[in-house]
Amino acid sequence: MRPTVEEQLQGTCRILETVVAPCVSDSYARTILDNLIANLRMLKVALPKVAGFVRDDNVATLSLLLAMQPALKTDLVGRIDTAAQAGEPDVADGAAIEERNRLLRALLAEAVCSPDLTPEIRRSIETHMINRAARAPMRYVPNAPAIITSTPET
Amino acid sequence: MSTPAQQVVEGLKALMCDAVPSAREITFAGLSRAAGGLSRENWSFDASWTDASGTHSYPLMLMRDAAGTLLTTERSREFHVLKALKGSAVAAPVVHWMDPDGRFLGAPSVVMERVSGSCDYMVLNGSRPLPERLKLAHDFLELMANMQKFDWQLHGLGERLGVPQKSPAKTELHQWEAEYRRVQIEPHPELDYVLNWLDNNAPDAEAIVLVHGDFKPGNALIEDNVITAKLDWETAHLGDPLEDLGWITNPVRKSEHQIAGHWERAHIVAAYSKLTGRKVSDAALTWWNVFSCWKLSVIQLTAVHEFVSERYNRVFQTPSWLYRPMFHMMSGAR
Repeated sequence: MRPTVEEQLQGTCRILETVVAPCVSDSYARTILDNLIANLRMLKVALPKVAGFVRDDNVATLSLLLAMQPALKTDLVGRIDTAAQAGEPDVADGAAIEERNRLLRALLAEAVCSPDLTPEIRRSIETHMINRAARAPMRYVPNAPAIITSTPET
Repeated sequence: MSTPAQQVVEGLKALMCDAVPSAREITFAGLSRAAGGLSRENWSFDASWTDASGTHSYPLMLMRDAAGTLLTTERSREFHVLKALKGSAVAAPVVHWMDPDGRFLGAPSVVMERVSGSCDYMVLNGSRPLPERLKLAHDFLELMANMQKFDWQLHGLGERLGVPQKSPAKTELHQWEAEYRRVQIEPHPELDYVLNWLDNNAPDAEAIVLVHGDFKPGNALIEDNVITAKLDWETAHLGDPLEDLGWITNPVRKSEHQIAGHWERAHIVAAYSKLTGRKVSDAALTWWNVFSCWKLSVIQLTAVHEFVSERYNRVFQTPSWLYRPMFHMMSGAR
């Protein structure tokens, strides 16, 4: 389907940069606009990776939760088993995959606060979280102002 | 329909008439919104008026809460801290008026003196020669030490800000945990994991001092080679002396606070001990370093929350870049 989503994002950035930005004289509005353009550029690269990232994360999170079960309370173990039995949603159902991700990460948020985690489990948790952070496709695009003068800006 | 600038002028006039009932011939010149304020709107202007005591003319700044913000803050906190600091060894703007509930300006606001100087987030690693940057780095630390020596009890800040009833570390943590829960729009097991560690390892404080809460070069004005004012006191509170020190020795913000090879964690701690006479526990400081990263994460989540609520005009993401350094520091502290 052309233009693709990426092509449309790319084109939108180009138009904002070359047509709109030169006409924005207000410094606050220009800062906001620059931030939005930078974020659209990030999205162009990130967007194709998001669905695969969430699917992979569901598999990795469930695997970690199952490995943590010996250190968890019975009630939480039961809910992890229920989530495991539910299985992965259809690959084409993006909303269901996102919802499952939310469920599994909520279970993990609870599990990582267990008082009975062994050093080995802690290492597994941190490795999982660091790997996930490294693969997360959407990134904050810093666009902080460098120098702000205290004198009025016109 | 009036422009935002016209609304500000009207609000300022109403605020001033309320604060100085005898004021007449009020003029506000050169009103403009300064770029940069992430948590609030900063408006610069020159005010003049005549009242019972004579004619006055001041360069002023209006700080007004933005519709969406990175920090949930209280203007009255900033107002009372600045009033208390007037005439002290801590360089800070003189505060004039406050609109605590936004009755006049539509959002909580404070009007203060406009101090000369520039704000440069990266001044310690900018183009100035190394000796100048080192002097500024030391001056920033001395400013922090002066702030910590400030007699908050004598100036009634205990009543205004609240004195922590338990460990200041626990008090701060629980306040920021409440903020975390307020703005959380999805599960963050990483932040719950760190929160759990922070809760189980909170240190006791050696003293209760005035804490800035966001101590950085980006919150200060510099003219030539002198710090003319420390700004942005809206997160000031009474707490642990190591809190601000933990903020500036936080490894993820080295580029703002440290100078490689010359002004790093060990240098800063040694200089701080010399200035204050306090011994710094490395474990306690590491706790505050982790807390700083965790708090920074919550601030970013606040921005995400405000963005999706259509009240904030910048796009932020989940702060996943902070997880690895937090885990690394926690591992070193075990």
